[in-house]
Amino acid sequence: MAFLIRRFGFYLAAFIAAATINFFLPRLMPGDPIQIMFSSAGAELSPENLDALKLTFGFVDGPLWQQYLTYLQSIFTGDLGRSIKYFPLPVTSVLGNALIWTVGLMGTATIVSFTLGTFLGVLAAWRRGSVFDIVVSVGAIFATSVPAVVTSLIVLFFFGFTLGWFPTGYAADPSLDPSFSLTYIGSLLYHGILPMLTLCTVLTGGFAVTMRNNMINLLGEDYIVMGRAKGLSDSRVMLWYAARNALLPTVSSLAIAIGTVLGGSLVTEVVFNYPGLGNILYQAILARDYPVIQGQLLIMTVAMLIANFIVDVSYVLLDPRLRGTS
Amino acid sequence: MIKVLFTGLTRNRKALIGMIIIAFIVVVALAAPLLTEYNPASRVGRPHQPPSADHWLGTTRIGQDVFSRLIHGAQTSLAVGFGAGLLITVLGTALGIIAGYRGGKTDEVISFFTNMVLVVPNLPLLLVLASFIGQASPLVIAIILGFTSWAWGARVTRAETLSIKHKDFIKSAEMMGEPRWRIMMFEIFPNLISIVGINFIGSVIFAIITEATLEFLGLGDPKTVSWGMMLYNAQKASALSVGAWWDILTPCFALALLGIGLSLLNFAVDEIANPRLRSGNRLNRWTALIRSGDGRL
Repeated sequence: MAFLIRRFGFYLAAFIAAATINFFLPRLMPGDPIQIMFSSAGAELSPENLDALKLTFGFVDGPLWQQYLTYLQSIFTGDLGRSIKYFPLPVTSVLGNALIWTVGLMGTATIVSFTLGTFLGVLAAWRRGSVFDIVVSVGAIFATSVPAVVTSLIVLFFFGFTLGWFPTGYAADPSLDPSFSLTYIGSLLYHGILPMLTLCTVLTGGFAVTMRNNMINLLGEDYIVMGRAKGLSDSRVMLWYAARNALLPTVSSLAIAIGTVLGGSLVTEVVFNYPGLGNILYQAILARDYPVIQGQLLIMTVAMLIANFIVDVSYVLLDPRLRGTS
Repeated sequence: MIKVLFTGLTRNRKALIGMIIIAFIVVVALAAPLLTEYNPASRVGRPHQPPSADHWLGTTRIGQDVFSRLIHGAQTSLAVGFGAGLLITVLGTALGIIAGYRGGKTDEVISFFTNMVLVVPNLPLLLVLASFIGQASPLVIAIILGFTSWAWGARVTRAETLSIKHKDFIKSAEMMGEPRWRIMMFEIFPNLISIVGINFIGSVIFAIITEATLEFLGLGDPKTVSWGMMLYNAQKASALSVGAWWDILTPCFALALLGIGLSLLNFAVDEIANPRLRSGNRLNRWTALIRSGDGRL
């Protein structure tokens, strides 16, 4: 428990650090930051609206520390300001609507590729040097060294345009109304296949390599030899003696991979015109919608911290040594 | 150690293929002005022409020569990759060795910042930084990449430093009264050379990918000739939907080739450093972290 509380304090500090970057960046720009932010976005705003915006960005009269506290206060009360492009919608609702799609896409892709990658890694390590091992290892190099942008574009070109098997945009058929009907869910899955395929290609290799390396490092351990000496079956030693222990560091690689998943997902959504965070963000970047660009950093940071926290908790559950210290 | 690494690299087939790919791209990039008569930035033909004898890889939406942009763009990708990669490695290695060797308060402060940087998602942070800079030139991108991406390297290097700092040769150097900076530079650093090499190649790959991603997302300087800007312009011109595959697949292929070349090299350095892992594996940024540390954040 003490471990989890300490982690939580650390995450709070990390979040405040991200907010601090957001606070100081506009103030490092030459001239009046609010004016610059709005004129570069080409938006027309009334003076009252401008004042309201200044407030959420902490541009109040008073010394810097007071401005900083005002800003932190609005962040912690969930006020990320208003979007310039979609004025007067608040940033939280612009990003919130898109977040559902991103979380769905990312979550599924992470689970699928983690499971698949872990299994491939276990088998590759168990049959080290076999054809299977070489195919998995070499495949993993190719898949992980190609940027997500490139993978997305190639998948889109091949399966979307050349073969024409799958749709090239949107999360579902735009003529359908969202509902729990079979047609709508079918359409969701059909539209999600290509983005999923891309993300899984980008991610699976990394998990497979991590798991394989962890396994290989464990296979020489005494308890593996012991398991074999007891005459246990191969699959039992592989899964319950080696894989179970090798999984521990792989789980923490999952937390680190979340950053990669986020980046990959942003790009994939842009390429496949998928209505998630990445796409909204892309539009925001083109329109220089600063409140939205800054808001996504905070939301992504929170997502990353939550993912890390889940991993911490599962670590405590998986590793008895950590439980003992509490 | 350096000698072992060098002879190992020349004997390893993966390293050889990787080095041939990288050397090929470097030579083409350097010889770019000799290989094409077209200026990469100016309009030299009709828009979206398919590959032909005049324009080997076709033309872009506004009539630029794709081949010329490809080989001139290679200069940018390589420069950003190796420049930012070097910056990331120098910062990460220096901080890691200092934290690991000095210990105490210094270690606590450096480790705290390292862990903090690791949990703030990198790409979203870069998007914010680049958008405030406005149109980020390749140089600016390389600099912000360098200053935001050193944390992985710092952590791995720190863990390795901790594992060798109690060895006898360090103790004897301390007894002889060698200054601390000398111990860090000439006793510890040479023994970390394979970790530093893996960190460097990994950082180069990361920098090339990230530069292309930032530019693809519209944060680059439109005047830049680079693979990322080629992707951005092609995507903006809907090259795939209008059937101009050459416009978009050319930079894709180039980025994939460079990424694979560098990864093969990384893979080989890792095999030489960890003979146990032979027959295929790639130590990427996070496996390095898991193996050398306790694996937790």
